[in-house]
Amino acid sequence: MQPLPLTPLDAPEPAALPGGSPWADAWRRLRRNRMASASLAVIALYALLTLGAPLLPVHPYAEQVVAHKNLPPSLRPAGELMLEARSAYLARLAAAEARPGLDAREEAELGSMARAVRTDPVHRRHYLLGTDNLGRDMLSRLLYGGRVSILIGLVGTLTSMVLGIVLGSLAGYHGGHLDNVIMRCVDILYGLPYMLLVIILMALFGRSVVNLFVALALISWLTLCRVVRGQVMSLKHAEFVEAARAMGAGPGRIIFRHLTPNTLGVIVVFSTLMVPQFIMAESFLSFLGLGVSAPLASWGSLVAEGAGVMSLYPWQLLGPAVAMTVFLFAMNFLGDGLRDALDPQSRAQP
Amino acid sequence: MSGGSAVGGDVILSVQDLRTWFHTDQGLVKAVDGVSFDLRRGETLGLVGESGSGKSVTALSILGLVTSPLAGGRVLFHGQDLSRLPRAALRAIRGDRIAMVFQDPMTSLNPFLRVSTQMMEGLELHQRLGRKAARGRAIEMLQLAGIAAAERRIDQYPHQFSGGMRQRVMIAMALSCNPEILIADEPTSALDVTIQAQILELVQDLTRRMGTAVILITHSLGVVAGTCDSLCVMYAGRIAERGPTGEVFARPLHPYTQGLIRSVPRLDREAPERLVPIPGQPPSLVDLPPGCPFHSRCDRAMDVCRQRYPGASCAGPGHSTHCWLYPESP
Repeated sequence: MQPLPLTPLDAPEPAALPGGSPWADAWRRLRRNRMASASLAVIALYALLTLGAPLLPVHPYAEQVVAHKNLPPSLRPAGELMLEARSAYLARLAAAEARPGLDAREEAELGSMARAVRTDPVHRRHYLLGTDNLGRDMLSRLLYGGRVSILIGLVGTLTSMVLGIVLGSLAGYHGGHLDNVIMRCVDILYGLPYMLLVIILMALFGRSVVNLFVALALISWLTLCRVVRGQVMSLKHAEFVEAARAMGAGPGRIIFRHLTPNTLGVIVVFSTLMVPQFIMAESFLSFLGLGVSAPLASWGSLVAEGAGVMSLYPWQLLGPAVAMTVFLFAMNFLGDGLRDALDPQSRAQP
Repeated sequence: MSGGSAVGGDVILSVQDLRTWFHTDQGLVKAVDGVSFDLRRGETLGLVGESGSGKSVTALSILGLVTSPLAGGRVLFHGQDLSRLPRAALRAIRGDRIAMVFQDPMTSLNPFLRVSTQMMEGLELHQRLGRKAARGRAIEMLQLAGIAAAERRIDQYPHQFSGGMRQRVMIAMALSCNPEILIADEPTSALDVTIQAQILELVQDLTRRMGTAVILITHSLGVVAGTCDSLCVMYAGRIAERGPTGEVFARPLHPYTQGLIRSVPRLDREAPERLVPIPGQPPSLVDLPPGCPFHSRCDRAMDVCRQRYPGASCAGPGHSTHCWLYPESP
């Protein structure tokens, strides 16, 4: 065929419309949402800190310095704090025994401790967030615990996304028997108590991070599967799907090339709100003692340890609790912002 | 019109006694019931009829795009029965050798994919072109379809195109694999009147240049008169009359065709005559009574019309009708 270009029949086209890809539009709307942008920044900071934890100048999270147990958060070196805490304790002891001052043995102990503080470099450590009952750095444990918690949130979400999208699309697109089988499985799994199932799985296969991932992911794709199935069912009769079929596209191509991008908005919002759920679930399990095993920490296990001593050493509870709360808040705000940004109903608004 | 030369050409698509029935809660719907026609190389065939007369279902049945299997009939494409082909073989033909343009350009492009992605899909699937070659071909097709600045526009999203432009994209996409047949299912119904003529002109121009045969589905006799070599008038899932366009317009045989022509204003007549509508409504396709489906609206209906469907009566080369008014041809 001769490529003879026709003269364009239309008048010169108008200047390019604003925006472009639906994703670019959504991104624009998200950035205009202040809460969501701030949340995004917070999440980015968390990601940076937890992922970069090995590079940060913090003490190893599992290293115990028993002499430094239960030190409060402070900017001063650990030795000073330790000495202070010990002398205050001995003074209280003397007062309780109605003695005028410390006896010789106690003086000697404080003296040797002061010498050690001057000579041993370990006592020059700083613990910005204090230490736990085994003398481990709370800041380091918080960072590494965040790593585990966020990882569980992400991996769990990704796994349930993959399972939910694939199974939901297949059920929704093909319908019939396949749909029936998949959805009845979903119904049955829905009927089982979620936490009980996870607890049984953890008890059966032992406590490890991998088992925790598997147990959480196995249960969590159900809702997403239903959501995706509904979306695909409503989209599969759209004319552009028919057009793709008339172009000779097969079912695989139609599902994953044409339908999934159209459902991705809902999926993204849903997944963002799912990350906090995973973190909460893991924390709950850790709180019950079924989560990660020591010396590995997660926010949940840190909170559990801190809660036991919260009247004596409140920083051991406050640190992880605040870190976790701020992260969950940010995730939820981001999810809300994403829903607003990706909702086709709000698309008409500027 | 490419005219007489095409009429004598070889038949590339032969639809024989096509039946597409749907089982619904209300009963059996015979959307297409015994449709036959031939399409020759380079010919433009019009399928005309009211809404619900089975035009679109006929088109979808040809490509096997209806959900239920055909109730009967054959679709011979170069002698190969498409309705009995395995799915994968049929997919290889769709879009490559028989392409389709849909009615509503606003919804037939995927809003989440760039135009380039959608245009290159068929080329990558069928022509085994690399990304670069496919992109080049897509841009060339867009230019042919009269889209200015195609190199830039191709990377935009459908919502950045107007309705007419989108239909141009659809046409460019459908023709990009150089198909032998283009099925255009009311390609202009959703567009402004001013754009309609441009789009029809574009389809005509491109298909003639590429030697593509066209099945043009429309409810507008005016569109058919201007573009088609021959036409089939459909009523209630059957073909009432078929023939070369000029012949049918000059000498309509079937009362339905006559009614249709009387109900359309014409510019080439001296005195402004009154337009005569066809009385009544098309019958429901659910459990259609026996006989000619048009008898309830036909002013020349006879007793036999209510009892049996008439056979074909031939009135000239390629011109035939199904009506009891004319003697049945042997």
